Amino acid sequence: MSRYVLAARGGLLAALLLFGLLVNGMTSAVQVEAAPADALMPIEKYTTEKAKGLANTHRLRLIEFSEQIYNCMPWLAVYPGRLGFPRYKDSADDERYLSMWIWVDQREDPVFAALPQERRVSAMFSRYGVDMLRRMAALSDVVDDSDVAGLSVVLSWLKPGTTRPGQQAVNETFALFIDKATAADFLAKRVAAEEFVSRAKFNLFDGETLVGRVRLQVWEDSFNSTYKLSNYQPPKGAQCQ
Amino acid sequence: MRAWLSLASFLGGIVLLTSACATSEEWSEWRGHTTHFASGTHGMFSLRNNKDGSNPRVARTDVRAENWWGKAITVSPEQIFQN
Repeated sequence: MSRYVLAARGGLLAALLLFGLLVNGMTSAVQVEAAPADALMPIEKYTTEKAKGLANTHRLRLIEFSEQIYNCMPWLAVYPGRLGFPRYKDSADDERYLSMWIWVDQREDPVFAALPQERRVSAMFSRYGVDMLRRMAALSDVVDDSDVAGLSVVLSWLKPGTTRPGQQAVNETFALFIDKATAADFLAKRVAAEEFVSRAKFNLFDGETLVGRVRLQVWEDSFNSTYKLSNYQPPKGAQCQ
Repeated sequence: MRAWLSLASFLGGIVLLTSACATSEEWSEWRGHTTHFASGTHGMFSLRNNKDGSNPRVARTDVRAENWWGKAITVSPEQIFQN
């Protein structure tokens, strides 16, 4: 075998090795987050025909919605399979809520950490929960479906002080369910925040532990609808509002 | 063949030179952090952008948390929903 053939084989092997490393790097990057369509709850996981019907009917609309969050709000992420039409845990009937479970990507912050837990919940819900309710309520073709009873937003974030080395981090999770008439009235300012809170079903979880209903305050916070991440470029064609 | 031997010697020389200059403290530090990049995402971001940090291009996958703390303890969906 000539030295030229040997050299060529060597070069080819080196190129393949480099390509493998690059592909591995790109795959790792992609695996950090699921694609927008993966945010939707798989239809086969629903346990009633009503829920399966909703999931089928509104699938494309929810994919669009998921894409908007994915492309336009990179500080948020929908948990895989957690955008859909579940019902409240203790619900005796088949009341379906348009629901999304969102992870708020927030680093340790001393100001946030200094807040009491119920104040953290109020801040997170006021900042992200209300805006998400507004965005879901704007999906009129979905919300107007007579099989949709209400809206639900679930928020998770890192509990301050739990990301120390050698310690498993803990998420705080706040889950709220509200009937769609009250949601619409609250968003249109026809119902006060206190009334909205009194009508809503909600719970806080500290890690896996149920804390229960906390004193929730809701105030105006336009952060999520106005914030622009510096140097962030949404993909071409993404329509961010 | 001679070219390959030269190349191998050259690369071996570089490895010898660079490793021979590390102190035990540096080796210890290196063993504690065996990768240059924290993750594939970090590596891709660095490869794509200017070294001096000017005019960075930030994409969705760059912004997402690296979850370096591992999987956080989180409530299970069954404690919130029924499917």
